[in-house]
Amino acid sequence: MPDSLLLGLALLSTLCAMGWLALGMNVHWQQVYGDVASSARTVRIVRVLGACALAVSMLLCLSSDHASIASLVWVMSLAASVFFVAFLLSWRPRWLAWLVPWART
Amino acid sequence: MLSSFRLSMTWVHTWFGLVLGYVLMVCFFFGALSVFDREIDRWAIPETRYEPQPMPSFDAMLQPIFRSIEPDPQSYDYAQDEVHGPLPPRESLAMSDVGAYTTHRDPVLDMYVSFDVPNKPKDANLDHVHVFGYATIDPRSGTVISNDKLKIGSEFFYPLHYSLHLYWKNLGYWLVGMAALTMLAALVTGVVMHRKLLRELFTFRPRKQMRSVLDLHNLTGVAALPFHFFFAFTGLVIFAGIYFPVTNSMFKPQAEAHEKVEELRTGLPHDPAHVAAPLASVDAMVAEAQRRWGERGMPGEVGFLGITHLGDANGYVSVYRAGTDRVTLTGQGIHFRASTGEVIREDPQPSAVAGINDWLTGLHLQHFRHWLLRWLYVLGGLAGCACIATGFIFFVEKRKRQHAKAGVSGARWADAMGVTAVTGMLIATGTILVANQLLPGDLPQRGDWEGRIFWLAWLMALAHAFWRSAPVAEGRLSPAWREQSWVVALLCTAAPVLNWLTTGDHLLKTIAAGYWPVAGFDLALLVVAAVAAYAARRLRRAELALVATAKPRRESLEAAHA
Repeated sequence: MPDSLLLGLALLSTLCAMGWLALGMNVHWQQVYGDVASSARTVRIVRVLGACALAVSMLLCLSSDHASIASLVWVMSLAASVFFVAFLLSWRPRWLAWLVPWART
Repeated sequence: MLSSFRLSMTWVHTWFGLVLGYVLMVCFFFGALSVFDREIDRWAIPETRYEPQPMPSFDAMLQPIFRSIEPDPQSYDYAQDEVHGPLPPRESLAMSDVGAYTTHRDPVLDMYVSFDVPNKPKDANLDHVHVFGYATIDPRSGTVISNDKLKIGSEFFYPLHYSLHLYWKNLGYWLVGMAALTMLAALVTGVVMHRKLLRELFTFRPRKQMRSVLDLHNLTGVAALPFHFFFAFTGLVIFAGIYFPVTNSMFKPQAEAHEKVEELRTGLPHDPAHVAAPLASVDAMVAEAQRRWGERGMPGEVGFLGITHLGDANGYVSVYRAGTDRVTLTGQGIHFRASTGEVIREDPQPSAVAGINDWLTGLHLQHFRHWLLRWLYVLGGLAGCACIATGFIFFVEKRKRQHAKAGVSGARWADAMGVTAVTGMLIATGTILVANQLLPGDLPQRGDWEGRIFWLAWLMALAHAFWRSAPVAEGRLSPAWREQSWVVALLCTAAPVLNWLTTGDHLLKTIAAGYWPVAGFDLALLVVAAVAAYAARRLRRAELALVATAKPRRESLEAAHA
């Protein structure tokens, strides 16, 4: 697989991870779904998904570059993803609902 | 003593952040630009707009050019101030070492020569002083590019971010060092003050005035916390030799003994033998070095090529691999006896400590080939700027109404300095780019003029910021923010247009040709212009809204007085 695709997937993976971790917080869940509180089970699921996506993105970074560079790419992609999710939450919060299709009612 | 630990931390964060924040702004902004310093060089010097080149043949091309390099007049004058007695005439100085350095982003090759000086240095901690000579060449033809042409990226923005171009007694390095230390302290104290570090990690509440500013300050600070920490820290590590000059002072005997031990261990002569010797084919040595790298499973290009004790029986040639695919800058050095070409030494794998040092300095100096990581670094740097700028704004917004009531002008001056550090810095940057396009090509010491124009523009922005700051003393918004944003928008539009008019390289042409160093910089300038114009319009609206809310208040006050 070409490196650019691996890195693109790694970025997408950290973006999803940060989205899921944000949805694991009640205040952000309510930004997306209004006043409906998330269930304890959903919170657990999105947090596990977030952690797994972070691990996947790290593996993707490692498969693309030498470990010394991959570690930097991964850490910096976390920062970029936090910005993206924070601004998305303040601009188009409903878009994050795509990350939890089963919760759509 | 303040009443609580958190209040003490807040005090440190606020006041140290305010005072050294202005320096930090320069470090972060010009540091972010330095990520693309070589690309900015291409934009600034049109005759260097071609593809990056590998290290050319030493025997055929570099050797005669090295011979023709003369001691730099500025370096000669500097050395004269550093030594006892008059220096020998400039043209009579003998070459001692030569070197050439390139990266995967360099179409041009930087070459330097150091010349021996027989005079005793005034500084008792130094053994000797050198005079340097420089040349930049087009490696395709060997044509020397005039030193009068300023490489705005690598010779102006890049050194600005670590030295502020204040070289007297290394003042700039010390100020930047203090600012970096302050940054580390500000990060720690900021984390203590924040309290909801993870709970508010994704929090940004727009249109809530002070709350929004603080959210943005926290968001840009926390999300990029590892970046801020590592860049402030590694910046200090890189210049540790200046901040702790122990090897030249306190531990001089140990340092000298260490050099002798190193000489025995590595076989690389520390001193010349003072016996003349010819130079064997350096190209053959380069080929041998590349063969050995290939054998280790890491074939690569030459990043640095240097000769120590040139023309002497103790002379040796060092060939280092470009660190294109690693964080480490250059490495895998292989050293040859200059007179015979036999291998003296192959650098072993670095020790754990050296490896960590290489990684820390390499991650900051970033010579690797990784465009995504470069852009992520720019994002980190700009996040740092946003963090510092919102810190200034929060400082002023929190105080300006109380100061207006009390008749104190502190917030007014802090705001004017904030304008100078944020939009003023952008104006200075835009001005040097416009000046670069407008100054006559054959102007002697053209680069020095570009630098002077940069500082003059910044000084004018400072004067303007102070002149227009009166409304802040009344608790309102300074129009200087808006007016300077318009100037930024104008300059950042003018620069790409002038680039088109003076070189013919307009965006359609550079994008179609895929020449991204110039296309990317033009596009970035246009994006900055658009953001600045948008900010200026929003600021106008904010000013009008403040006037509208202030008016009824004033009328009701006047009615109460009547």
